[in-house]
Amino acid sequence: MLLGKHVINTMAAPLELYCWKGGWGLPSVNIESLTVLAYAKFAGAPLKIHKIANPWRSPTGSLPALKTHGEGSLSQPNKIIIHLRKQKYNADYDLSAKEGADSLAFISLLEEKLLPALIYTLWVDPKNYVDVTRRWYGENVPFPLNFFLPSRMQGQQLERLRLVRGNSRLEPGEELEKELYRDALECMNLLSQRLASQKFFFGDSPSSLDAYVFGHLALLLKVKLPNGKLQQHLKSIDNLSQFCSDILTLYFPNDGRETPGSKISTQPHSNDFDNEPNKRRNQVLSVLVALGAMLSYALLTGILSIQQVHPQGALGSSKGHGAGTHDEDEEEEVE
Amino acid sequence: MSLAAEAFVSQIAAAEPWPENAALFQPLKDDQVLLSDCASSLAVQAYLRMCNLPVQVCCRANAEHMSPSGKVPFIHVGNQVVSELGPIVQFTKAKVVGCVSGQGLSNGPLSCKRHLQHCAEGSAVFLQGHSLSDGLDDVQRAEMKAYMELVNNMLLTAELYIQWCDEATAAQITRPRYSSPYPWPLNHILAYQKQWEVRRKMSAIGWAGKSLEQVYEDVSQCCQALSQRLGTQQYFFNKQPTELDALVFGHLFTILTTQLTSDELSDKIKSYSNLLSFCRRIEHNYFQEHERPGLDPLSIRPSLM
Repeated sequence: MLLGKHVINTMAAPLELYCWKGGWGLPSVNIESLTVLAYAKFAGAPLKIHKIANPWRSPTGSLPALKTHGEGSLSQPNKIIIHLRKQKYNADYDLSAKEGADSLAFISLLEEKLLPALIYTLWVDPKNYVDVTRRWYGENVPFPLNFFLPSRMQGQQLERLRLVRGNSRLEPGEELEKELYRDALECMNLLSQRLASQKFFFGDSPSSLDAYVFGHLALLLKVKLPNGKLQQHLKSIDNLSQFCSDILTLYFPNDGRETPGSKISTQPHSNDFDNEPNKRRNQVLSVLVALGAMLSYALLTGILSIQQVHPQGALGSSKGHGAGTHDEDEEEEVE
Repeated sequence: MSLAAEAFVSQIAAAEPWPENAALFQPLKDDQVLLSDCASSLAVQAYLRMCNLPVQVCCRANAEHMSPSGKVPFIHVGNQVVSELGPIVQFTKAKVVGCVSGQGLSNGPLSCKRHLQHCAEGSAVFLQGHSLSDGLDDVQRAEMKAYMELVNNMLLTAELYIQWCDEATAAQITRPRYSSPYPWPLNHILAYQKQWEVRRKMSAIGWAGKSLEQVYEDVSQCCQALSQRLGTQQYFFNKQPTELDALVFGHLFTILTTQLTSDELSDKIKSYSNLLSFCRRIEHNYFQEHERPGLDPLSIRPSLM
């Protein structure tokens, strides 16, 4: 039966994976998408990857999503990973039973302790959200969606945080931030202790746990956040930040350079309005044209008329108040 | 009293030895407490027993609303109230740290200093008792924390799912029990409100789409991981129990001894013999010799033996 599956798979077209597109020097800007992408690379799964910025184009309506043969579409990262594992793309093949158990435990640790703080720092912290997250989604999500999708996503994330913390009156603020960050810092320290000086969590080859850790930490390492307490802590942990950048250079060699490249490549696609220099020039031109039209209308209809002012009069207006009003009367004649 | 002085007093309170009248609050155990709350409460009791810290179990119908975090159980020690296992572990550790740092306090009112020194001398005995995970190295401590989150993330969530999202269990067991202390219109309102809240939480963490079968599958996966980790050892980290042992015992023992609409959940655990003998071991070592009426939920439950 396994063999049969194998044959079908190699014959069929590759599975299609939809995920958020890249930014900030990363292959994707979304934690779950990054996790799945990293796992697919580790397991060597030949996926056809669609990097998009419109969740409505995904088969499940959310990102990431894997379109499977005959089993519909999957959207949760762990389901996607389990599906890939069933298709013989298994990065955990070499793990002992105890190591498999450890993976499960550390993935739980990430989800319970680190993820809430990540959600907070990217979506709830007002400065980070306005300056970085909303900006990215506003610029990259296609036109009508970009007006409401970022704020809707923020609402969902905040709701999730509230339900997970079990406090419906939870308000973003210092108290909450302190609590979440304390858990997250502890989690990062624990991961660092577990990783120690190894290359990956279980020796020399990456497993699903490495994919999860990378997915959760890579964003924090690469995004430039105005309020970067969490980031600073991660950057101060040498082995963890080294672990993330190693995975980036080893498995995603092209994505570090993609951001400037993609900016250039998007220019021909987009309209002139999106083009930075032309936009500015057009704005200046249109303002000048409008001003000119207004002025010429005023002059033509006689609302404004230009008269030669004697040099003495101009001098007088700067000296005395009475003379100034007199000049104005001369200059503007309302019909 | 100024704020600084208050903080100082609470420092001393934290450094004081464990009082005789420490109390643990949980919902009524005969006809109110739910599987998940009972498991959390038993975990805290097991932890405190492992630390050799006596505590009086008090059942209150409104325990959930008395708790500072809205979750049961919580302990009332001296003038402080702490809820849930994680913070309680921290609290018992802080007591030790408070005593040790008190020794190094050189300036300050003489009486306070003497008090702290006295406390530090007195606490030297239960220094090991208060912090169960002190003997672990860094990697082991990281693994212990990770496995604790595994239990919270999978077992506790599965318990909540079965209680509130499986309609048969919710209608026959959960809602009637949860609302038992309240009069007529209120009981329905509160039970449905709670159910709605739990269901929203499930959909936020992506469990809403799961079927009951998948949840049992997750429980099985979690038990397998715990069983693998335990192996043939006495406790998760050799001979000395830690807070992880208390947490795992609380959940597994409660699931094993609670009658639900079907036995499928407890059957999942029963297929791992080392987990079963682990539960028996902790029950035997920590709950059987010093059994007092009204002190623990085990007295009303069938024992595992």
